[in-house]
Amino acid sequence: MISRWLRENAQQCLLRDAQARVARAHGTAPPPARGSFFWRRIFVPVYRLTPWPVRRRVLAAMPGSHRRHWPGPTTPAGPAV
Amino acid sequence: MARRTVVIGGGAAGIGAAGAAKAAAPAAEVIVYTAFEDVGYSPCGIPYVHGREIPDFASLFLAEKQAYVDAGIDVRYETTVLGFDPAARTVQVEGQGEGPVEVGYDALVIATGFDYEPPGVPGEDLSGLYYVKNIRRAMEWDKILDSVRHAVVVEASPLGLEMVTALAHRGIDTHVVDPHPWALGELCDPDIVAPVQESWADMGVTMHWNTTLRGFAGDREGHVRAVATSDGELPAELVVVATHKVANTALAVAAGLRTGMTGGLVVDDHMRTSAPDVWAAGDVCEIPHGLGGLPLQGLTGSHAYAQGKVAGTNAAGGDRAYQPVYVPWGMVAGTWMIGGAALGEVTATALGVPHVVGKATGISRARYFPGVRPVTVKLLAEPRTLRLIGAQMVGGEGIKERADFLALAVRKGITLRDLASMENVYSPPIGALNEPIVTAAQAGVAT
Repeated sequence: MISRWLRENAQQCLLRDAQARVARAHGTAPPPARGSFFWRRIFVPVYRLTPWPVRRRVLAAMPGSHRRHWPGPTTPAGPAV
Repeated sequence: MARRTVVIGGGAAGIGAAGAAKAAAPAAEVIVYTAFEDVGYSPCGIPYVHGREIPDFASLFLAEKQAYVDAGIDVRYETTVLGFDPAARTVQVEGQGEGPVEVGYDALVIATGFDYEPPGVPGEDLSGLYYVKNIRRAMEWDKILDSVRHAVVVEASPLGLEMVTALAHRGIDTHVVDPHPWALGELCDPDIVAPVQESWADMGVTMHWNTTLRGFAGDREGHVRAVATSDGELPAELVVVATHKVANTALAVAAGLRTGMTGGLVVDDHMRTSAPDVWAAGDVCEIPHGLGGLPLQGLTGSHAYAQGKVAGTNAAGGDRAYQPVYVPWGMVAGTWMIGGAALGEVTATALGVPHVVGKATGISRARYFPGVRPVTVKLLAEPRTLRLIGAQMVGGEGIKERADFLALAVRKGITLRDLASMENVYSPPIGALNEPIVTAAQAGVAT
């Protein structure tokens, strides 16, 4: 399934990029880069430049449980006592 | 004729579903098929028996087999489900000396759990590779551990962390091999897991980060003798394979059920699958995250059990809903407890979610009380509103309770300002004057 392939590859490359960023922020050596040229040099920068609302819409369009009915968080109405 | 609910799988999800189905409709027939010799035990406890923190495997069982009989749950042990047909509402089963037979159902719950992702390297067929899952095999492995001098744990996943700690407790020379730069690299932040790694080093564990597994080398008898890695060859008489949990969907996919982007079965809030009268629960399915909706697969035993309860109730004709998850997690690793909820710095950065961080270190009890340990809390919040989006913690005690609370705080939209002014219990043996969550939130508000 293409969505599974996309998720696996995107997750691996975004995670590696994030590990490097967080490592640098914590003053430790970043891990060596991994992944093909496309995922590392094209996908990751394009993903990071894409605004979150757009990313969210793309994720929402992928097949999965999130497209079925799920309740939203509830908020309290009025005083408890 | 009584309504019949069939459950495939006898783990946490399956037994939760069977119990809930019986509770929702006591007159209904509930049949559980399992390929194994036992049901209803805690596989999560296996590492702690290996590490000698729990004296025996018997204590991991929730109930004797007779208890299921008494409860009216018909468990068919060592019985393989060959397939099922949602249109005809039948399952094909084989086992206990019986050839393949068809059994009809009114409702079916798929609780087939997970398999470990195959390492995908040469030597996978050697003996001496241990996939921690089944309690009977764990009993056999536990005897073997007495003679093991060198062990390698492949991947510092949650199970990997527990097994590294257990093997080190057992006095075995233990190496851990992982492609990530630190333990729990897909979930945990480096500053949170650093104390765990330091304690492992003190326990004699050798860690190989950013290291690729290349294969398993065997002796003439076909038993593993070493693990080949990008960091050299590591001698080992035992290898614990603690790779990713992959949803065991083979039966469901063969029956035409839909899977999502994680490979898990697609379900809704009632744990209904894409097929009529078929529900699913546990590691076989995927559940949306409460923040953003991204589906997750391979959660914890408590998630599986709760999902099983929902699926079983609904399969029996009831009406119960599950919620998107915020995934409180925690474990003991090395000499520390670590845990968290929702997003950490690494996961928020990977998703590209903007966040601010508040972090503080406090203490678990009054400073003068014996057993006091440090507790570090890191909170992540949405920058504009300061709504909590995640937390990670490391400490000597009290991590689980904080993780549970903070997961609910994320779900309910609590902000750092709320947490910065929250009240806390003060009692010298169980809590200090200053709660670390409060001081971390105050630090976050000040950023």
